[in-house]
Amino acid sequence: MLRVENATGGYGSVQILNGANLSVERGQIATLLGGNGTGKSTLLKIISGLMKPWSGTITFDGQRIDGMRSDSIVRLGLVQVTQGKEAFPGMTVEENLRLGAFVRHDRAVVARGLERAFEYFPILKTKRRQLAATLSGGQLQMLCIARGLMSEPKMMLLDEPSAALAPQVVLDIFRIISRICRDGMTLLMVEQNVRMALLLASYGYVIKDGVIKIEGPADALMKDVNVKLSYLGGTVAEQEKQLNLNH
Amino acid sequence: MTYFIDLLIVGLSIGMVYALIAIGISLIYSGLDIVHFAHGEIYMVGAFIGLVLFNTVGLPYPLAILGSMILTGLLGVFIERVFYRRLTARGGGYTVAGLGMIISGFGMSIVLQNAAYLIWGAKPLPFLVRFGMPVEIGSIALPASYLWIVVAALFLMTVLHLFLTRTPLGLAVRAVAHNKEIASLMGINVPLMISVIFGIACALGAAAGVLIGPINYVSVLMGTAILIKAFAAAVIGGFGNLPGAILGGLIVGITESLGAGYLSGSYKDIYPFILMIAVLMFRPAGLFGTIAKMKA
Ligand SMILES: Nc1ncnc2c1ncn2[C@@H]1O[C@H](COP(=O)(O)OP(=O)(O)O)[C@@H](O)[C@H]1O
Ligand SMILES: [Mg+2]
Repeated sequence: MLRVENATGGYGSVQILNGANLSVERGQIATLLGGNGTGKSTLLKIISGLMKPWSGTITFDGQRIDGMRSDSIVRLGLVQVTQGKEAFPGMTVEENLRLGAFVRHDRAVVARGLERAFEYFPILKTKRRQLAATLSGGQLQMLCIARGLMSEPKMMLLDEPSAALAPQVVLDIFRIISRICRDGMTLLMVEQNVRMALLLASYGYVIKDGVIKIEGPADALMKDVNVKLSYLGGTVAEQEKQLNLNH
Repeated sequence: MTYFIDLLIVGLSIGMVYALIAIGISLIYSGLDIVHFAHGEIYMVGAFIGLVLFNTVGLPYPLAILGSMILTGLLGVFIERVFYRRLTARGGGYTVAGLGMIISGFGMSIVLQNAAYLIWGAKPLPFLVRFGMPVEIGSIALPASYLWIVVAALFLMTVLHLFLTRTPLGLAVRAVAHNKEIASLMGINVPLMISVIFGIACALGAAAGVLIGPINYVSVLMGTAILIKAFAAAVIGGFGNLPGAILGGLIVGITESLGAGYLSGSYKDIYPFILMIAVLMFRPAGLFGTIAKMKA
């Protein structure tokens, strides 16, 4: 469904991606792992059209999308939920969700989307008329994921959905992500929470220095997790701590 | 007492005109991250277009307002696309391109002034509309022209408010004003929406021009003074904040009118700025708070 071949790119004259390759099949949950600042978010931005790749090809659903504007890519059914829980704080929860369905002009689709969003995240229903600025971190992340679902995309790119959240909230969010995928979503998820990500995904990629260094089925990566973790930069101790918390 | 109320009504209606322009300046600021220094000239051109539609084409006054809003809005879209886009595409605000935008705005105001001078000449033109008898409320007789300004401006503000809060397109405008990247991830065509924002801002400026025409003359230089007053209105209310722009406009209009009536008419242009300085001393972000803009 999604194929990235030899993608390079960066900021200004600083190259970050040095030829990244990955592909995600329809219905698959893939995860992209890697230490801080290794180019995970950059790769997602290049896929979603927020940044133009310098070279390489990206195909989605049989179409070349590299160099396309991001709103056109959304219309094709590929939606990115960015890192950092970026909702529109001055708008209500419902307005945020409605914006997620901006490309769908059919009222029935919007109504169905709202209903589905409230089913996945009941808390959003109770807060539907509140400004997004009043939500907690976990609720904001839920809002951003729900907003991404509103256009009924074929595939989602999730950037660190568990970042800066309490362990209990992380569990909640992963549970819902797994439900969304069971309902048929294709997913590429960037994560720092290696163990959780590999439990959820069926395939994993590890990026370092702007290229995919390791890839393989999630359970194989998981078995080897201690070895592979060394590729994740200086976060090994942190990861271990998190593993204990999650048990 | 009636003297006071007369001054209040004059201040209120002029304030509405400032408010319409200040809303435009604020819309452009929040959507494009630039301060548009040619907005006074947009107001001037709008007034002339309204005058042509009214006098030459023979449209009734309300249709002349509407027609001028549409034509001036399209002119604004043209100016934004052809002249400003290359600069704003590289970032507004505090970037080098943002600084270039300030200079381009001044340049555009000189271009528009000279174009208007070539087309309509240097002499101020009267905008004669028959509004009928003053409207009497109790012992006070309201000149209908002032009432017209207040009613029409309130109507336009209501329409704008409903557009921004009740329609998907209006939501998209607010999304673009807040964060262009996230807006584009909603599937919003951001470049198109920027044109829409600029067009609406120019249409509101044009409405202000056609509304003030009948109580003033229409002249090539009418935009210069009003820009800084609308600017003061926007600053007093909180830059980029639309309710703030309206409140700021009314405050500036009423201060000016009361100051001219009770203190001295020859200093009438100074009072709003004294007020602006006072507001900035105690509330630097304006009465309603500025939309914080952090642009690299
Ligand atoms: N807007 C930007 N401008 C310049 N450099 C950036 C920008 N965003 C990220 N970088 C740099 O690019 C590298 C990769 O960043 P990113 O893709 O965000 O990493 P991560 O894997 O943590 O998501 C980092 O070194 C970061 O400092
Ligand atoms: Mg990142």
